[in-house]
Amino acid sequence: MSDLLQAIQANLLSPAVLFFLLGAFATLSKSDLKFPEPLYLGLTIYLLTAIGFKGGVAISNAGLAAVWLPALAAIVLGTLIPLWSYPVLRFLGRLSPVDSAAIAAHYGSVSAVTFIAATNFLKSLDVPYEEFASAFLAVMESPAIIVGVVLGKLANKKAGESFVPTLKVAVHEACLGRSVILLVGAMLIGFLSGKRGYEATAGFFVAPFQGVLALFLLEMGMVAARRFGDLRKVGPFLVAFGITMPILHGALGVALGQFVGLSLGGATLMGLLAASASYIAAPAAVRLSLPDANPTLYLTSALAITFPFNITIGLPMYYEFAKWLFGGSP
Amino acid sequence: MKLHSMKLVTIVCEALARTSVTGLLKEIGAHGYTLFSVEGVGAQGSRVADIEEFANIQIEVVLPPESALKLMSRLEQEFFARFAMIAYSSDIDVIRSAKF
Repeated sequence: MSDLLQAIQANLLSPAVLFFLLGAFATLSKSDLKFPEPLYLGLTIYLLTAIGFKGGVAISNAGLAAVWLPALAAIVLGTLIPLWSYPVLRFLGRLSPVDSAAIAAHYGSVSAVTFIAATNFLKSLDVPYEEFASAFLAVMESPAIIVGVVLGKLANKKAGESFVPTLKVAVHEACLGRSVILLVGAMLIGFLSGKRGYEATAGFFVAPFQGVLALFLLEMGMVAARRFGDLRKVGPFLVAFGITMPILHGALGVALGQFVGLSLGGATLMGLLAASASYIAAPAAVRLSLPDANPTLYLTSALAITFPFNITIGLPMYYEFAKWLFGGSP
Repeated sequence: MKLHSMKLVTIVCEALARTSVTGLLKEIGAHGYTLFSVEGVGAQGSRVADIEEFANIQIEVVLPPESALKLMSRLEQEFFARFAMIAYSSDIDVIRSAKF
């Protein structure tokens, strides 16, 4: 237990989390600090490209043989999470079918920034992890969105109405949306250009990375804090859901990571990915293909509950659980 | 110079409705439109436009009166309940009616 508290404390004092808190403070204190949308987009593009590129280089170093099994496990996990999240939201939370499906899609999909925060956390503790883990991030983004949209469409099916056109929109948005294009595209480029490509671009993609991440989290703190007022609107069930489900998914992800042969650090990352909820790819895809779902519900739970929980307390929890599962110290 | 009466339809909506709205404009037969980012406050709260999920856009389209009416009624039936959105039309005069 004291290990857990120590890990939480170390995590809270990382620049990423402190900048997140600063952003939240700026919004809550009604400061006039505001990022323009192009800057937010620019930071997202940089982070996704850098993480994809570095992951691609790591895959070329490790070889595809080492990557395919854990990547397959990540896809299966991403596909299954919405399938049990849906009934929990629908029957325990008594949410409408389309809202349940929309939220389920967000929780099955993943958050790239939470993942980056996790790799920083592991680095700060000197815990090694598979550098190619960002491949799991890339493959977990789309399947859950598609499953969630299909669930929403099936539940809301009007007689005689075909949902093929909407499904096409969802598949296009989930598989070719900006975040997937950047992440998967940069990963492919990293894989093809390998070590030499890495050396050529490290000055841009690696050195400034932590600073860009800090700025991005400052912005995320502001965005998340603006939704705090909506916590009352979404009700206690979603608040509980937004904390309990990540813990369950985190434990499951860690166990699955260990099962497919990842290291302690890699299994922690798999757990964190399972626990995280998307707020870039999923909202855009869901808004287009399930327009009847209420965005306040899924945005507030992903942004204002699960994201802050994961980067502050969740992350050290999944790490400590992984340590326990792997038996003692790494 | 002869002026022709047309309608200017202005739609202010959440940025994520963009593809759906421009798709509808195409269906209606609009020859073009102008789109820009805006911010403001409305029934669904303040849209401060720092990230796309909370951004607003304004779309302006010039149409012959009957198409404008068709557009407004489609918006009412299919869009108002689903998206954060307002729409209004105004009378305008154009020089080259064939352009619209």
